[in-house]
Amino acid sequence: MSGSVPAPATPMDARAPLDPATRWRLGLAGLVGFLALWWAVAASGLVPKAFMPSPVDVARQFARLLQEPFAGHTLQTHLLSSIGRYLMGFGLAVAVGLPLGLLMGWFRTLDAIVTPLFEGLRYVAPIAWVPFAALWFGTGIGGPTLIIFAGAFPPCVINAYRGARQVEPYLIEAARMLGLSNARMIVQVLLPAAVPSIIAGVRVSAGLGWQSLVGAELIVASSGVGYLMVKGQASISTAIVMSGMVAIGVVGLLIDVGVRQIESAVNRRRGKG
Amino acid sequence: MSDIVFTNVARNFRRDGKEFPALRDINLSVRDKEFLAIVGPSGCGKTTCLRMAAGLEFPTSGTVAVGGVRVTRPGPDRAVVFQQFALFPWKTVAENIGFGLVANGVAAAERARRVADVLKLMNLAGYESAFPHQLSGGMQQRVAIARAYVLDPQVLLMDEPFGALDAQTRVVMQEELVRLARVNPRTVLFITHAVEEAVYLADRVVVMSRRPGTIREIIDVASVRAADSWDRFEKIEDVMDQASFVHLRTHIWRLLREQQAPDDH
Amino acid sequence: MSRRTVVGIATLLAVAGLWYLLTAATGWVGSARFPNPAEFGTAVKQIVTGGYAGARIHEHVLQSCKLVAMGFLVAVSVGLPLGLLMGWNRRAEALINPVFLIIRPIPPLAWIPLAIVWLGLGDGAKIMVIFFAAFVPSVINTHAGIRNIEPFLIEAARMLGVRGPRFVFGVLLPAAAPLIFTGLRLSLQASWTTLVAAELVGALLGLGYVLNAAAQDIFPAMILTGMVFVALSGAASTWLLGRLEQRVTRWRTA
Repeated sequence: MSGSVPAPATPMDARAPLDPATRWRLGLAGLVGFLALWWAVAASGLVPKAFMPSPVDVARQFARLLQEPFAGHTLQTHLLSSIGRYLMGFGLAVAVGLPLGLLMGWFRTLDAIVTPLFEGLRYVAPIAWVPFAALWFGTGIGGPTLIIFAGAFPPCVINAYRGARQVEPYLIEAARMLGLSNARMIVQVLLPAAVPSIIAGVRVSAGLGWQSLVGAELIVASSGVGYLMVKGQASISTAIVMSGMVAIGVVGLLIDVGVRQIESAVNRRRGKG
Repeated sequence: MSDIVFTNVARNFRRDGKEFPALRDINLSVRDKEFLAIVGPSGCGKTTCLRMAAGLEFPTSGTVAVGGVRVTRPGPDRAVVFQQFALFPWKTVAENIGFGLVANGVAAAERARRVADVLKLMNLAGYESAFPHQLSGGMQQRVAIARAYVLDPQVLLMDEPFGALDAQTRVVMQEELVRLARVNPRTVLFITHAVEEAVYLADRVVVMSRRPGTIREIIDVASVRAADSWDRFEKIEDVMDQASFVHLRTHIWRLLREQQAPDDH
Repeated sequence: MSRRTVVGIATLLAVAGLWYLLTAATGWVGSARFPNPAEFGTAVKQIVTGGYAGARIHEHVLQSCKLVAMGFLVAVSVGLPLGLLMGWNRRAEALINPVFLIIRPIPPLAWIPLAIVWLGLGDGAKIMVIFFAAFVPSVINTHAGIRNIEPFLIEAARMLGVRGPRFVFGVLLPAAAPLIFTGLRLSLQASWTTLVAAELVGALLGLGYVLNAAAQDIFPAMILTGMVFVALSGAASTWLLGRLEQRVTRWRTA
């Protein structure tokens, strides 16, 4: 019954929710304060403009990058090439990782074989694959794809595996009683039951893949937003570097929002929304 | 004097932007060293009454005073025993019990003595260095009661303390609490939805009505207990067998039944 | 020994056998693509005894570990109090959160060019990059840890008269410790990833620099050696953090 009575705004627990108006006001104040501080540092002239452009300078540079090519292409074209690579690597990670995870969840022997390999490779930072990626697949699309794959693959496998392992035993027994084959068991019982865990994994993996892409492009690419930033860095244009960061952040955010939408749509359909 | 006095207390709560009255016209005083139980249907605001005495919530109008002082914040003079035990899982039994003393600057030697005393009183000796998750629910609630007792509070506020325990453990704890009340009487405000528990433990039982919560009736159990000398029995089932007990219990049941909404079971 | 352990060991042996078979025995995978076991051994020996890329392995490892430790510590000593503040105080959260939400989607590695423009190729730039990488998970998890503390624990502490530093260090932090450590593990992992990337982009010492030099020299055996040492260093630091966590949260397993 105490659940229906909200705690009053007492000094005891400062975690009590604020009313929306106060929250918006404070949030706006924080944002304005941040931009003002940034602008003040830039305008004070203590730091040369090349190193500390104002928010307005960055916005202008961003607009210019959309129209004039820099490092070979306009910002949109760089972004498209980044997104293309990303989809390749991420798609590959999902396409290989999910089935592998499900199979590991069903066949104990496969689990025992793959897990030690996985443990061994776990501590190799995805970015450490850069030299081999470049050596084996070049710097066009293959090399970066391998690096994105290295970043995005583990969460796919781990969550599909966990999802499959967490299927209620009675579901499996019921399916056994119906005489399902291994293949049907995996596709029609494990997969649907593992979907929430899989989607959570795909979300993590989508984020890590995007991060790895940025790293790959900083080091081994000849186009893409990461490449644009490296070129901006080389010509000591902080405004270009920051524009690249903004573009990367926005796309990363859109990816996350997209996957979240799918996640909540699936959860709603399953009656867990 | 350590009494608890509710004067014209009302409390509203807010849901979906609208204000609802949760409690109305609460005038009640728990006398010094009295054991008072509040029973009522769920949602009647009985826990809110206790939380207002504890200083964890505040009335919308009216006042709550303990020992003549208006309650404005929580403090060790009004020890609370929570339904969820609320032990600190990273502290041992002894550390949990001693935490309030540490916080109030009691010197180490005296602290050790008081913790040892209350450990013995609550039959917890030997469990000093156990962590809460290693104990059963009943033992955890013993620790929580010990943690409240060791502070030597003016009043004890117990919010459905046995609600999370299984039936057998519950009975044992009820008997322990009666024993404790005889050895070491305190002013106790006890919230429960179990009628038999209230009649067995309390000197007076307050029956509350459904939302908005008001006081329906106050039943004097102490005089019946004395007249029929329930204290001669050690076991709860013997007390519950007495015609006087059955009579009181049935009376309270009827009062509660009148409060029942059609959607309740 | 369980069946699982046997299969695990057999797998690792099989992988070693396969490696030997594909490289040294048959030559199907040439040395220019992936080293054979002997070449790998030589490369390890070279970097351990003679040195490679300007220094011996322990110097590279120490340099990388030093930078990770510094960046991680700076990030945690800012991130943990900030997460605590935002988790505990809704007003502070409302004020800081929008700014944090802007910074959060920027991948750690995307700070590398900015760090280089601002601070050059020295240690400062790497510490800055690690800071931004490790900062976010420690804030988020501390925030979540504080926010998830059961209200009745807070109330119990208040009722006992616990306040001030004792409330923060005796109640809030221990209650949030499990999630805080989750954050620290993620922070540490992010620290290693970004350090390696930052050293790949530009450095004169460190494991990432070994990888970079080996890539320039087209020296696959040394690339593999670099990766192995990156993994070992990452695993060792994760193990250390795990030990610390065990000590601090002993009550969970006792």
